[in-house]
Amino acid sequence: MLMGFDLRVLRGESALRGTAFAAALLLLAAAVPAAAQTTTAGLSLRPMVLVDQQLFAAMETFKAVFGQSSQTLWGGGLNVTHNDRIYVEVSASQFKKTGERAFVNNGQAFRLGIPLTATVTPLEITGGLRFHPRGQRPPRFSARRPAPSRFVPYVGGGIGLYQYRETSGFSLPGEDVETRHAGAILEGGVEVRLHRWFGVAADVHYTHVPGILGAGGISKDEGEKDLGGIAGRFKVIVGR
Amino acid sequence: MGRFRALLSAIAIGMALATLALRAQDPAARPFVVRENVGLPAVDEGVLADDSHAPNTIEARRRAAVAAVLQSDGIGSSGARYARGRVIVKFRDGVSVAARQRAIASASDSGTMAVRPSYANFDIVNIDASEDAEETARALSDSGDVEYAQPAYRVHATFVPNDPLYKSSATFTPGQWNLPLIGLEAAWDIQPQAGSTITVAIVDTGIAYMNATITADLKAFTDDRGVRYPALGPVTIPYSAASQLVQPGRIVAPRDFIWNNTQALDFDGHGTHVAGTVGQLTNDGIGTAGVAFNVKLMPVKVLDSVWDDILGAPNFGTDAEVARGIRYAADNGANIINMSLGRTGPPNTAPAVEDAIRYAVGKGVFIVIAAGNGFEDGNPREIIAEIASRVPGAVSVASVDRNATSGDHKCTGGAGSPMCHAYYSTSGSYIELAAPGGSERGFGRNGLIWQQTFDFNFVETYLLPPSAFRAPRFDVHAYVGYIGTSMAAPHVAGVAAMLMQQGIKDPAAIEAALERFAIDLGAPGRDDLYGFGLVDARNTLRGLGIAR
Repeated sequence: MLMGFDLRVLRGESALRGTAFAAALLLLAAAVPAAAQTTTAGLSLRPMVLVDQQLFAAMETFKAVFGQSSQTLWGGGLNVTHNDRIYVEVSASQFKKTGERAFVNNGQAFRLGIPLTATVTPLEITGGLRFHPRGQRPPRFSARRPAPSRFVPYVGGGIGLYQYRETSGFSLPGEDVETRHAGAILEGGVEVRLHRWFGVAADVHYTHVPGILGAGGISKDEGEKDLGGIAGRFKVIVGR
Repeated sequence: MGRFRALLSAIAIGMALATLALRAQDPAARPFVVRENVGLPAVDEGVLADDSHAPNTIEARRRAAVAAVLQSDGIGSSGARYARGRVIVKFRDGVSVAARQRAIASASDSGTMAVRPSYANFDIVNIDASEDAEETARALSDSGDVEYAQPAYRVHATFVPNDPLYKSSATFTPGQWNLPLIGLEAAWDIQPQAGSTITVAIVDTGIAYMNATITADLKAFTDDRGVRYPALGPVTIPYSAASQLVQPGRIVAPRDFIWNNTQALDFDGHGTHVAGTVGQLTNDGIGTAGVAFNVKLMPVKVLDSVWDDILGAPNFGTDAEVARGIRYAADNGANIINMSLGRTGPPNTAPAVEDAIRYAVGKGVFIVIAAGNGFEDGNPREIIAEIASRVPGAVSVASVDRNATSGDHKCTGGAGSPMCHAYYSTSGSYIELAAPGGSERGFGRNGLIWQQTFDFNFVETYLLPPSAFRAPRFDVHAYVGYIGTSMAAPHVAGVAAMLMQQGIKDPAAIEAALERFAIDLGAPGRDDLYGFGLVDARNTLRGLGIAR
């Protein structure tokens, strides 16, 4: 079960916002019983919600249209660990924002007042290793299992499918954009266990997404061909 | 309506005669008097199918020849015409009056410093009319106290009117092919205000912007063929505003540098036609449309017409008047200056104009300059248009013909892609943009650029035999076809006004946008015929998205 909702919904459209929060609460409520059926010794299924502050590689392009090249994505997903050593994570998130069409001259952006709405929807699957530093691993002959580490660093990589949609005012048929392309992911961070059933994680998430930007628009003028970038992500994870 | 018009006419003529009687007692009277707002609305003759304007016609050459005789210009070593009896000079800052006098005395036996004209950062040195102004300017330039000196080179409108080949046509469709060609219909959707907060200065022959009654004493003159035209004595000349151009609040700060007053009345028709392309009233179900039809218009008269010369205007259209006009427009609120004018000559011989252009751009004014019409006359270098290529924020505009309408072909001259370079449009490394200037070749009247201006049958009476010579009437208007880079430039000025209305104020950015979104014609990239290509209003106003 995945969840995605956009910043505009959270900020302005109260009816949709209520629906989105309700959906998030339902997700978490459903997740607890599921997680309760798992143990750290085996598979652990852990739903999560995430917020992602991404610095787009197409910095000049996003800055020209939105005034800043760092944008927020909201999403959620499912994190699966095996013996608390390896993980696989499936997530979906979305960035949706309305800026203005523009052009760039000598590094300065000139916005034209014509609304442009861009929607980026990444569907990602990553996997990697989780670490338990400073002797937190169980002693070989101990009958008692030690308490799991409160801090669990992890590194991983993966692939994603990135859907991109761009709509503008005064478009003619065929001038709006709707496309998708695969991309590569590298990530690393640390999970902090706050409770037996509850943790948070922060990581750095690098994506490289070719094939969407660079063929037209400001991204072509600026020679920016990567829809990816580097993001700081914060996750709330439910489950052991 | 007829009786009302007759009554008003009688009142106007009566006032005019009374004025003449009074003025006749004044020995210092000007050659004509304009009674502002004493006059009737124009007679609208609709489309004038038998009077078009094209380069190198018999009428065009006659008009130029008559003007040349009346103006008695000097001819420089390069062939460039200049006004006799004066030199433009800019002294370096801090040079004393005595040093200036010494520099003048060393360059000319007859040279005297005139009072500095308004809106000029240069001085005029009066010299004897028989002196070689180019030689005097060179001598002055040799002085260490002088920043630059140049003759007052003559500037002319960049069209040459009246092609009689069209008079025999039985059918006429005044289609304004030129406006959809540059994507204006879609651009008006984007920018429906069409420049309502923008002022465009028409630096030209003036504009027909008011109803007036002119009383003048028309003296005898001799034309280029030596034919003597008789004095007509005191005459009353009706003058009317172009009904499709003028509405309350639209005309701002008119200024006339030919007559040194604030009236800027067009006695030629060129400036009125150009102003129409920039901002003819649109969506009113009458006549033709303009590009940025809500802009404010500032008439700045810097070019003299034949009637100005016959009436005895104190100034001619030279670099000095053009430079002053540019500075005036910049100092009085113009956002955009359209200059459908130009001249040829040696490179870099218009420092006064270049100085003024840089001054205006520095104040945030975007400038559009016609590229010239001399392609078939040896394709001489256009000195003022060339300046534009050196100044970000000023553009030179070449002309395309109606071939540019056929789909998205690139006018390469290959099969299925005929050239759309207008046959007269000057080419060169300084060409930056192209816009519709029209052409009759292969298109007939349907290839012209149509706007409202004077019915020339009532204006160009000096082209008639002396027995038929009569006072002009500037109150009979019609929709007339012109061609020339003069007609191309105002398309760009109008699009620039719409872009400026959308919030882009930086002249250099406006130029960059116009060039970035131009439809590339001819050889890929910038070329000498079309510059960066045909201006595209829709794409310029719409800009770019992220991925498209």
